[in-house]
Amino acid sequence: METGTQSRKTMTLNLTEAEMKALDDLSAIKDISKTAVLRQALRLYQMIEVRISRGEKLFFEHDVTKEKAELMML
Amino acid sequence: MSTVSPVHLLDRKSGILVEAHLIDGLSREDVEKAEADWKPFLDEHVKRMEEAGVPKSKLPQHRHWNWREKYDATEEYLLYRMFGLECQSQMQGLMLALTAGKNSQIVAQRGKPLVYIHFLAAAPWNLASIVSEPRFSLVGSVLVAAAIHLSMEEEFQGRIGLHSLPQADNWYRKTCGMTDLGPDQTVENLRYFEMTPEQASEFLR
Repeated sequence: METGTQSRKTMTLNLTEAEMKALDDLSAIKDISKTAVLRQALRLYQMIEVRISRGEKLFFEHDVTKEKAELMML
Repeated sequence: MSTVSPVHLLDRKSGILVEAHLIDGLSREDVEKAEADWKPFLDEHVKRMEEAGVPKSKLPQHRHWNWREKYDATEEYLLYRMFGLECQSQMQGLMLALTAGKNSQIVAQRGKPLVYIHFLAAAPWNLASIVSEPRFSLVGSVLVAAAIHLSMEEEFQGRIGLHSLPQADNWYRKTCGMTDLGPDQTVENLRYFEMTPEQASEFLR
């Protein structure tokens, strides 16, 4: 069984030390490669951008207090 | 752009495996055709069941799902993938999966990403709860296997998760061997199920 609809293209990414550390940390926490982390991030970012462009807002809600905080997208 | 893979379904009448196609990346036309085939069949059978006095709890709980609306709501997002299972020129099953933003809730796997199955349904003529002689078996199993393969491709090691409608609880628990994490108050009290990498390997065996 095969899933996956498109061939993949390669790019070089230049990151600062702090950005690379964040990427390394996420890769370790999530137990996926750095490429997989970035693909996840891109998908989420694309969804957020589309929804914000429609006039929606992004909030975080505290699980216990139910306090909401808006995430500012610049 | 879509990928088509050969798979097999069990023709229940003949008892033999027949060739089918798993389509990853359905077109709007695919979904519209499926909806046009499924809805009249489902509506007619639900009407008959209601007229026969079948209690509401026994009616198919996903009867209100509209796959064209789901396609329209998700087609522009990279994180959604819609799969179809086609056999004998008709869509036998559909699945909408989410590939980012969901993490495992099982303690040993907590925080690790998984593929979340938003919706999964077999065509109404394949449901024993609606028809006395369903046409094909294995529709749900092939789609769950597709979700596991997708999870592996995404480096999630086969982890998948979903909220089940009550009528499907036992199927996910017993046939799929998923872990039942109980009712989720944030999603209409539906039971939340997860498949670990080990359970995924077992399922694919």
